Amino acid sequence: MKSKATLFFNAFLVIMFVFAFTLPASAGKTYKLGMSLAITGPTSDAGNPYAKGAEDWFKFVNETDYLGDGDKIDCPIRDDQYKNDTTKRFFEEFLDDGILIFLSYATGGNLALKRDFEEVQIPVIPASYHEGLIVDANYTFMPVATYSENAVGLAEYVVEKHKGTDTPQVAFFIHPSAFGRGPLEDTRKAIAEGLKIDIVEVVEHGTDLDNTAMLQRLQSKGVQYVICHTVQTPVATMLTDAQRLGVSAASFGEKGKLTFLGAHYTGGSDLIALAGTATEGYIWADSYNLTSEKNEKAKKQLELAERYGRDDKAANSHNYAAGILAAQIATEAIKETKKAGLKINRENIYKTMQALNFNSFAAAGPVTYSPTERIGVDVMNIYVAKDGVFKKIQAFESQYIQKVRAGR
Amino acid sequence: MSYFFQIVVSGIVVGSIYALAALGLVLVYKSSRVANFAHGQIIAAGAFITFFLTVRLGVPIFFSFLASMFITFFLAMSVERIFLRRLIGEPIISVIMVTIGLASIFDGLIYLTPFGSENFSFPAFLPTESIVVGGVSISWTQLVGVIITFVLIGCFSWFFKKSTVGISMRAVSDDQFGAMSVGISVPRVFALAWATAGLSAAAAGCIIGNITGLNFETLHAFGIVVFPVVILGGLDSILGAVVAGIIMGLIQQFASGYLDGNFGLNGTGDVMPYIILLIILLFKPHGLFGIHEIERV
Repeated sequence: MKSKATLFFNAFLVIMFVFAFTLPASAGKTYKLGMSLAITGPTSDAGNPYAKGAEDWFKFVNETDYLGDGDKIDCPIRDDQYKNDTTKRFFEEFLDDGILIFLSYATGGNLALKRDFEEVQIPVIPASYHEGLIVDANYTFMPVATYSENAVGLAEYVVEKHKGTDTPQVAFFIHPSAFGRGPLEDTRKAIAEGLKIDIVEVVEHGTDLDNTAMLQRLQSKGVQYVICHTVQTPVATMLTDAQRLGVSAASFGEKGKLTFLGAHYTGGSDLIALAGTATEGYIWADSYNLTSEKNEKAKKQLELAERYGRDDKAANSHNYAAGILAAQIATEAIKETKKAGLKINRENIYKTMQALNFNSFAAAGPVTYSPTERIGVDVMNIYVAKDGVFKKIQAFESQYIQKVRAGR
Repeated sequence: MSYFFQIVVSGIVVGSIYALAALGLVLVYKSSRVANFAHGQIIAAGAFITFFLTVRLGVPIFFSFLASMFITFFLAMSVERIFLRRLIGEPIISVIMVTIGLASIFDGLIYLTPFGSENFSFPAFLPTESIVVGGVSISWTQLVGVIITFVLIGCFSWFFKKSTVGISMRAVSDDQFGAMSVGISVPRVFALAWATAGLSAAAAGCIIGNITGLNFETLHAFGIVVFPVVILGGLDSILGAVVAGIIMGLIQQFASGYLDGNFGLNGTGDVMPYIILLIILLFKPHGLFGIHEIERV
């Protein structure tokens, strides 16, 4: 009899012990998200630090009880190696897991899944800023200004800063894909709306070891500005060749020389790592705050990177900042939905995201969405490469892009 | 006129680097009749080894360059020993599939390191000012690249023509059974062919990496980019690789310099070498210097 009582008592103790450890864990809710991007394979030089930024932010949210009540975010990050079919498979698996928001990556993958996003009605935060992703789409929330805004904005910047009364002669150096061509088309539309530049030539690059012929040709046609929309490697080769040939402008718009400018994925610390001193003077449009600015925002980014043991390269990458911002948008959407006392599901998250408004240390300006506005950070910073880092010249917002969008 | 000469110089520079990158493919094909689809990965590995030794271990770049050739020499030799030797005598398609598999394995291994997804550049070790003669400029990086290319190609040509090992490699290439009957070790020749291909790939990787910066995707793409060079020159001809490389480089630069942006054309620099390749192959199906084998039955 005594042993039976002891047995019950021991069982009671075990149950209490188990509860003691499980209760705090089950006190909070876990919200599922999913992220698919290229951690390896093509463009992984951007995808890898992007994934680290998102991972670190979600870790920070969970460790600091950022959402309150012990609530946590569970966001598996999968490597799709830049393959659209793999992205699609991951997306379907994430849907089966009941994710609230999909954090996606490439232009191609997003275009391929665009109809699916609408059908499933799931909010999506892409790493691609291709304008086409938000055309006839309701569920894609672009974190920052689009590539088209970058390109048109840079063209406007050229007009603003060009010395002389003649029309600036511009060449486009673009990636041979929809990613490269989209912003060019929007710049042409901006010209039709009255933007005063001449597009003298469009160069779709290949795997080039030498751009001498191309650079000489551009010069012979009187080109003064080259706007790039591609990835860093071909830009690095071109800048190195321009430096060798002595055709790079020493100051913005120098007569008889070429001034190089580029959009989001053409610049950053990676371009400096590839092209070294040939990068000096390169003008770059981007909506992220850079750590080279050494401001309070940069300090926070570096603190986060240090907290999770990231090396300097990742910590100072604008792609790391981009990953953080994407994760922050998702986090804020959950937090605000919770604050509004709504049930956390896709529908309510979507409603919240349409009025989301917050400041991020990773971005150049505030993140603001509305039912008609699907771009988070509208402002972009114009940076110039100087003494081995990109330094901010000014903040800039494209005016012509609104006219281009109105004409769609 | 300097516009024209600048294009000529750039074409020769690009072409000679193509030739060096193509050399490894020719060496493997010449001895074993196998097209190595993992060649681009070995090019990338050579570049990254040099970078690692120079930047992380502080070895002077010249010694790093030699060391990377030495390492890839043994790396490629090991690959042949472990994966390919047992396929001697098997259908060529099986061997080619193994090289495709090897490319995937190398990709995976390099992706495990920071080199798979980060960009780097070699520290500047040559003067950054260009050499300008009569309005035509060439960078020190390009000049040194061309010199190294021609020295290596000269060494390989001598090796194949004059040395006993080189002659035995040619013998294996001509007739494996005949070579065996005179006492040449075919497996040893295969290993040596892969090893020398690894060595030349490392040299090519370092030169390309110095020009484009170190990005894995860009570097390993050159393993495929140079295939037309090898086909145009003749798959088993070193001289063919050199001549075809320079032809391809010149066509690319001339098309880019004179056609692109005119007559509504664009991107001809990338397409024109392939068009010329197709035209030449119509008349010389084995390439410019390839051996036309006639099998008598």
